[in-house]
Amino acid sequence: MQLHSFDAGYVDSLCAGDRQTQEHFVGYFTELLQLKLRSRLQSPHAIEDVRQETFARVFSVLQKNGGLRQPESLGAFVNMVCNHVLSEHYRSAIGGESLDAEGRPEVPDKGADALEIVTARQSKDKVREILLNLEPRDRSLLKAVFLDERDRDEVCLEFGVDRDYLRVLLHRAKQEFKAEFLKRAGKQAASNAND
Amino acid sequence: MNHSEAVHQMAAERYLLDELTPDEREAFECHIFECPECALDLRFGAAFVEEAKAQLPELTRGLPAFVPPRSSSLETKRKWWQNLLQPAFAAPAFATLLLVLGYQNLVTYPALRAAANQPRLLAWAPLHEATRGGAHEVITADRRHGVALPVDLSPQPGMGVYASYSFDLYDPQGKLAWTGLTAANAGEASEGQRISLVIPGAMLRNGTYAIVVAGVAAHGERNEIDRYVFDLRLTD
Repeated sequence: MQLHSFDAGYVDSLCAGDRQTQEHFVGYFTELLQLKLRSRLQSPHAIEDVRQETFARVFSVLQKNGGLRQPESLGAFVNMVCNHVLSEHYRSAIGGESLDAEGRPEVPDKGADALEIVTARQSKDKVREILLNLEPRDRSLLKAVFLDERDRDEVCLEFGVDRDYLRVLLHRAKQEFKAEFLKRAGKQAASNAND
Repeated sequence: MNHSEAVHQMAAERYLLDELTPDEREAFECHIFECPECALDLRFGAAFVEEAKAQLPELTRGLPAFVPPRSSSLETKRKWWQNLLQPAFAAPAFATLLLVLGYQNLVTYPALRAAANQPRLLAWAPLHEATRGGAHEVITADRRHGVALPVDLSPQPGMGVYASYSFDLYDPQGKLAWTGLTAANAGEASEGQRISLVIPGAMLRNGTYAIVVAGVAAHGERNEIDRYVFDLRLTD
């Protein structure tokens, strides 16, 4: 996970069909689209359909127009296209066929590489560490909210906390998780630079 | 929603907790597609939540069962009226209510029914028509029995026959306390009639009362016939 901003060069590479740029583009926006769509669509199949259709249309428009007038608004453009596809999905079933008239294959989700597998292992360890460092009450609170999916107000009343407490609890856990990851990412980047 | 608002409002946390309104969610999602920092923040949050969901069953299973204690904050959260339903207050309140209902049904109402349905003795207090400048007649009565005032309705010479008679009772404050109407005896118009005005004890006060009697013709015209003014003195 890295910070990335989109500029004219990035969009030009995307339009030119640069594989690495396309993979980065798909990887970056796949997660955001899934976060957006899972609150609106029940079926993983439907989420995947909308995701694929969104990317297909974005590529199609970029290639037809040769880019965007404002490259830095690439993210907003993707979101807008997703909203249109979602509206159409609500109105009728989308077959999942690509809009790409040339029949070019879609950019698939790339599989996890060795670094990502290690990263995933480290993620698990860090999350476990964060959870174990919590008070038992806070652990039970997170379980009630995220795993048992109980009503938030009911849970807060039972645990004698308010909604702010719950938000701050999640915020601190997230920040600790993120800090650890960014620290490792920084070390990795420094190590790669020295090689 | 801009970056500052997203951070200040803890939008990422509220998004993951599903606390945003539809408009707020739309605005935040629009923002994360444009703001790499907030997008990264949300992705870390989502990754933590997903992994936590996978690990919490094991982590909470191995620990002693946690029973959240009822804190004082829970007590204060109870609404004030709910305290009225607590046994310490509700039980005596219901007991008192039962006592009141029982007394009313077993004592008060039977006594009232008996008073209404049984004969009783009540002495007349004869009235004399008020005279200009004359001292008021004094009538004694008690609140338990009230007072019965006989009124003679004699036909007035040259006034014709009345269809009915009206009675207006004025209390010691000069206010009209009561008004009533009785039909005239058609078959005995020349002989007049006697009416008893019974004033219940609850209405009685010490002071000067006035009774104004008027004849009411068939077409509605009223003519004052008699006026009785008396001083009432209560014996109880």
